[in-house]
Amino acid sequence: MSFSHQKLERTAIGFTLMILLVASIGGIVEIAPLFTIDNTVEEVEGVRPYTPLEQAGRDIYIREGCYACHSQMIRTMRTDVERYGYFSLAAESKFDHPFQWGSKRTGPDLARIGGKYSDDWHVAHMNEPRKVVKGSVMPGYPFLAKTPLDTDGLPDKLTALARVGVPYSADQIKDAALDATRQADPDAEYETELQERYGENVQVRNFDGNPEMVSELDALVAYLQMLGTLVDTDELSKEEVLR
Amino acid sequence: MQIEHDEVSGQKTTGHEWDGIKELDTPVPKWAKWAYIITSLVALGGWILYPAIPLGSDFTRGLFGTTSRANVLEAVKEAEVVREKDEADLIDGDLYDLVDDPTIRAKYESAARVLFTDNCAACHGRDLKGQTGFPNLVDDSWLFGDDLDEIEWTIRYGINANNDDTRYSEMPAFGRDEMLEQADIKNVAEYVLSLSGAEHDATLAKAGSEVFENECSACHGETGEGVGIGAPNLTDSFWIYGGTRKDILETLENGRAGHMPSWDKRLKDADIKKLVLYLNWSKDNGED
Repeated sequence: MSFSHQKLERTAIGFTLMILLVASIGGIVEIAPLFTIDNTVEEVEGVRPYTPLEQAGRDIYIREGCYACHSQMIRTMRTDVERYGYFSLAAESKFDHPFQWGSKRTGPDLARIGGKYSDDWHVAHMNEPRKVVKGSVMPGYPFLAKTPLDTDGLPDKLTALARVGVPYSADQIKDAALDATRQADPDAEYETELQERYGENVQVRNFDGNPEMVSELDALVAYLQMLGTLVDTDELSKEEVLR
Repeated sequence: MQIEHDEVSGQKTTGHEWDGIKELDTPVPKWAKWAYIITSLVALGGWILYPAIPLGSDFTRGLFGTTSRANVLEAVKEAEVVREKDEADLIDGDLYDLVDDPTIRAKYESAARVLFTDNCAACHGRDLKGQTGFPNLVDDSWLFGDDLDEIEWTIRYGINANNDDTRYSEMPAFGRDEMLEQADIKNVAEYVLSLSGAEHDATLAKAGSEVFENECSACHGETGEGVGIGAPNLTDSFWIYGGTRKDILETLENGRAGHMPSWDKRLKDADIKKLVLYLNWSKDNGED
């Protein structure tokens, strides 16, 4: 124990200040990088806010705790890239609140699951996973197909997201409930309008195969089928990805 | 406060005293001190050589200029080069020659099985026999013909998938869209049942055969065996959506449009080739 430290220990205010200073280093290390977030997130084509139906599906994904077993982050490792596809970009989760990254996988990573399987498969799989995937340990979610999607809360959800920085327009918020219903109904003939409003890559289909109602399964499948499909990884500029 | 010299250990005391108990001020062992100094220097070196410290609008890049993203892209490319060399026989070969080449089969069959299990088995089953909604791949009945090129095309671009080259195939909703009278639907269902030798009402089936000729034969063929444009063979025992009277009526009422994803961007060319060959090699497994 050196002499100067002994002296410091005997000065209450001085010692308190020094503790604060040392402890704040840890805080700065964690917080400072957040101020550079605009530089961390790549500028890539295609990323857009979730449509109301996809957002509703995302909320169901979180409600049912899918994140406990599935990550949505393809890491910068060869094994990950070979199995799941191009590594995840920061830009791809810039409208996620909260993001679904993770390092624990009981099931496979879902960052680029969109389009890998057909809607019919997702419907069968959610209903009874072991019927389509032998040995799967995933629980079944048969009630999703039978539960009508609650669209009333969607404008409020979008408003809340707009407050934390997701660029939803006033029109998008106002028509959220209707937009959600129309995305799951190809007979509504609303595809062009929806694509104008949200982007070319919006998929309009009857996702759960049941034309009678818009179910929670419609929303969840719509969400799963768009995961990782927004960015065309063949068109990425190397400077942007490696900056 | 009295720092003393302790005779037994040869160390000094801290100078603190509690009820006559004094504490030795033994320094950290030398090896631990040096380990600390050396690892600190290594860390410092790391800060200089690798990306480390955020600087507001940027960060220190480090002298090596490494990024994990560049590394992984490089690693993927290197593996690709090795693979291309190893799989040259497959990549340069013609599917029709490869399929009968026993050395090719010996070399690639187990890898192809893993590929199939990872990507295709979710729908078509590990035994390739399909399940409701997803076709059987070992029954020798192919929606788009059994040409290897056709099968490759289907894997590459899918059916009713999201790209310009995809195959298009849809069974119309004859009932829902009122393309046929309900009575005709009933009749044609009986006729379809008769095609595969299932139990059926012969009188209704006879009436249904006319409807079939007018409405169905363009896609399913005059005899119901299909003409290789996506409409299934109705005379065999395998049914994608079920072959009971109820299933057939449901198909006629609401139509069907199966979806096979496109694998062009997900799988490498060589892997798609392996899968085409695998399907052919597995044909014999259909009987067991």
